Amino acid sequence: MKKKYIGAGTALIVTASIMAGCGGNSSPQASSPAASQAPASSSASESASTGSDKPFAGQTVTLVTANHPWSEAITPLLPEFEAATGIKVKVENYFEDQLTQKLTVQFTAGSETPDVFMYRPLQDGQLFFKNGWVAPLDDYAHKDPEYDFADISPSAINTTTIDGKLAGIPIITERGVLYYRKDLLEQANIPVPTTMDELVEAAKKLHNPGSEMYGFVARGQRSPLVTQLASYIFSEGGDFITDGKASINTPEAVKAMTTYGNLLKDSGPPGVLNMSWPQAFGIFAQGKVAFLTDADSLYTNATDPEKSTVSDKVGFALFPAGAAGSKPVNVTAWSLSINERSKNKDAAWELIQWATSKENVLKAQQKGNPGARTSVWNNPEATKSFPEELVPIIKQSMENGVGHDRPVVVSVGEARDAVGEVVMKVITGDKDVQAAADKANANLQAIIDKDSKR
Amino acid sequence: MKLNKKKAKNATLTGLTVLVLLVFVFPFVWMLLASFKTQAQIMSNSQTFVFTPTTDNYVNVFQQYDFLKYIVNSMIVAVVSTLLSLLLGLPAAYSIAKYKLQGLGLVILVARIVPGISFLIPWYIIFSKLRLVDSYAALVLSHMLVGLPFIVWIMISFFEKLPQEVEEAGAIDGCSPHQVFRRIVLPMSGAGIITSSLLSFIFSWNNFMFSIILAGDKTKTLPIAVFNFMSYAEINWGGLMAAACIITLPVLIIALIAQRYVVSGLAAGAVKG
Amino acid sequence: MGYNWINRNLKWLYILPALVFVLVMMLFPIAYTLWISFYEWSMSAITPPAFVGFDNYISMFKDERFLDSVFNTFYFTIVALAAEMVLGLAIAVLFNRTFKGKNIAKTLFLLPMVATPVAMGLVWMLIYEPTIGAANTILKSIGLEPQLYLASMTQVIPSLIVVDVWQWTPMVALILMAGLSTLPTDPYESADVDGASAWQKFVHITLPLLKPTIIIALMLRLIDVLKTFDIIYATTQGGPNFKSETLNIYGYVLGFQYFKLGSASALLVIFFLIVMALTLALIWTKKRLEAEG
Repeated sequence: MKKKYIGAGTALIVTASIMAGCGGNSSPQASSPAASQAPASSSASESASTGSDKPFAGQTVTLVTANHPWSEAITPLLPEFEAATGIKVKVENYFEDQLTQKLTVQFTAGSETPDVFMYRPLQDGQLFFKNGWVAPLDDYAHKDPEYDFADISPSAINTTTIDGKLAGIPIITERGVLYYRKDLLEQANIPVPTTMDELVEAAKKLHNPGSEMYGFVARGQRSPLVTQLASYIFSEGGDFITDGKASINTPEAVKAMTTYGNLLKDSGPPGVLNMSWPQAFGIFAQGKVAFLTDADSLYTNATDPEKSTVSDKVGFALFPAGAAGSKPVNVTAWSLSINERSKNKDAAWELIQWATSKENVLKAQQKGNPGARTSVWNNPEATKSFPEELVPIIKQSMENGVGHDRPVVVSVGEARDAVGEVVMKVITGDKDVQAAADKANANLQAIIDKDSKR
Repeated sequence: MKLNKKKAKNATLTGLTVLVLLVFVFPFVWMLLASFKTQAQIMSNSQTFVFTPTTDNYVNVFQQYDFLKYIVNSMIVAVVSTLLSLLLGLPAAYSIAKYKLQGLGLVILVARIVPGISFLIPWYIIFSKLRLVDSYAALVLSHMLVGLPFIVWIMISFFEKLPQEVEEAGAIDGCSPHQVFRRIVLPMSGAGIITSSLLSFIFSWNNFMFSIILAGDKTKTLPIAVFNFMSYAEINWGGLMAAACIITLPVLIIALIAQRYVVSGLAAGAVKG
Repeated sequence: MGYNWINRNLKWLYILPALVFVLVMMLFPIAYTLWISFYEWSMSAITPPAFVGFDNYISMFKDERFLDSVFNTFYFTIVALAAEMVLGLAIAVLFNRTFKGKNIAKTLFLLPMVATPVAMGLVWMLIYEPTIGAANTILKSIGLEPQLYLASMTQVIPSLIVVDVWQWTPMVALILMAGLSTLPTDPYESADVDGASAWQKFVHITLPLLKPTIIIALMLRLIDVLKTFDIIYATTQGGPNFKSETLNIYGYVLGFQYFKLGSASALLVIFFLIVMALTLALIWTKKRLEAEG
């Protein structure tokens, strides 16, 4: 007891000293955060004519993004924002994993930078928010009617809402769809599969490893596969967690995991165990595979002639229906948030508001980034660059889709590895899938239990 | 007869050398070829050696990214950290070798033993308090912790092997120990110094883990820039390979120049016999 | 006299700057890691770390994944190290003669070592790709069965070892070449007089004289092989199914993917002790060899 007390005391001292150190670094003029500047900003929008329409002029906002087509679309537009607001934006790009690593180190050290960051709400959202790293955006989002927050799809907002608080503004949404090779199906006189059984059947028929033609490919790496497996589980009527209890050993989930694993084992190319999306899309783009299930937001990897030898032969279909119909994932893959410790939260919000305005979401979407604004999706201009038959599939998937693609827990990484293990067992030919699922379910339950104690 | 045997032996040795080189160079040939291919060409195995080359990847690398800046950043950090490591490391290695301070040498070696990941968060805390994140100083200091122990431990074995008589002769000539080290020991250790500083330079040039945490917009180094070619929606293999070629070229040139010094160092050693 | 004072205290003046630098850079990180290894903390800014005593260490030894990663680390290290030393020595001897284009050959040979590991990891990933990779293209062209390499649970570590050997044998060779260049010529001359064969000269003169350099190379590589991170991280991230997960990779996963800083730190402390113990064992061996003469 005493020991614990001392431990907590040291912890507090160290945490306090870290915080004090960072607080001490702040420049004196930045001592008035949200509270004092909020009225200034609202009055600014009212009294734009009086000339004080640049309340944040001279401030610098640091924006950290992933190396994502969205960043490539928005970065060239930043000078417009800087000219309009007088805010200077510093942008840094990192590859996905490095982004998480960099953010984690900065937040753990109590850093005031970055002000605005791009992150994966389903992967890091719970932890980032519960760790107090993310500033809630509820008040900001409803401030300016021009922004039209209600226009952002409720299901996307649902993904970025944690404990009833808005933890980020969605920028990229994605759904699970079926990619297929039109020419191969035509040749073999096979109709486009609409159910899971048809897909399994068709994949088997088109699987001809002797001539390096494979029926089906999807992610086979233990952790990356989970987000794609989700569409299979939902379509069979299962879920990772049901009413707060782990449920990956239910008959529905076991059936889905067996189907997914068997598709890869019986109709997949060699080496699926080390495949994440780049490898899966890679082999599909070489024209060696008939079917692929993955996120729609990655479609350019299959349809861009620069990257794909079958660019003109790719077809898209609604995720094949299981026992519960077609229930693909429909999630927010990336969102923008503000660092809780940022000294320029209001200026940071200005940046987010600008980047996720109707106008800029349209611009980003025209470059192939599926966004979250309903009005933009209803604008034919927005999807001009998308393959024609993909658009109705996206819209339909938005309606029957499910708003998460992995177990919604704090320790997502651990939970994904626990779920992925079952599929590993199926791919490597383990017969007793139920036993593996029971074990994984117990592991997942332990993770959930630990979360509830936080 | 004897001449033929010698010829055969030479031919075998030459053949072996060529074979070794081929094996070690193959991935680079492949990388160089890929840097001139489009994504679709890289993905197709029918176009491994015969294809229509494109320079788009290189144009992209220089147009989209400020590669020159990253090269300069990497160069500054690698050169300064290597020079400072030499400045601190050479005397330390000499002292350890001459006065048998292996225990203290071990303390320096510990810096190499500590897993790199455990430095990340503590260093970020310190350097952000000192306002040194995104500065050359932070990068140089962190890279020195890799380079310095390396230099020390290679140089210890070099200094240990120096014949005692040389130093004694210097002392008789009226040189102080410090002068002996500067005027006699150092010039005799050229090969070792070049070898170890070359390695220290390379470790710094390639460092990824520390740089990603401590570098920022201003000081971003090449390895981090290379990762710019991987993004969520695609891996730009051609661009990546072009960037890899560019990142390798400066080190290749340095290795080529340094190689000459290593050879001349060997020659000098041979003359002394 | 100041000058005399400098010379009298030269040994300390020479070593102190390096020592102070290393200690300043290391002490806080080591103390921090050690301290946090007794706590459970998800890096939260709201919930402070909770003291758990030795729990993180105890649960580590009950964690199958940790034990597997210890095995993987040793498997990788022992095989890679042995291959690098043997090949490195052979190549150092092979290159230790005069031939045309030696400079170019040596420079080319250094390429794998100077190339950025993360980039090279990606190159090798494509070489190993089962359907389009160069490795299988070559196998098929000489009539052999194509393999799975990084995608096979049994071949993944050998495949990664090949990459490490490719990348670091040149460094071993470089250090050994530098060592060879400092060897005295007299023993060889007297051996020639005695009519010794090349192999006899190698075993009885070169190897014993080169021993200290070999041990230095072995030690430097041992530490680095144990800590191999970049190439595994860039190619498999420990997969498939954790079969190439080494201690360093698992530590990274615990810290930056599972956000369990306490467990990660406990693992890093254990890892540090393992590397330290092996390094000390090598140094002790070196001393004993030297004492034997």
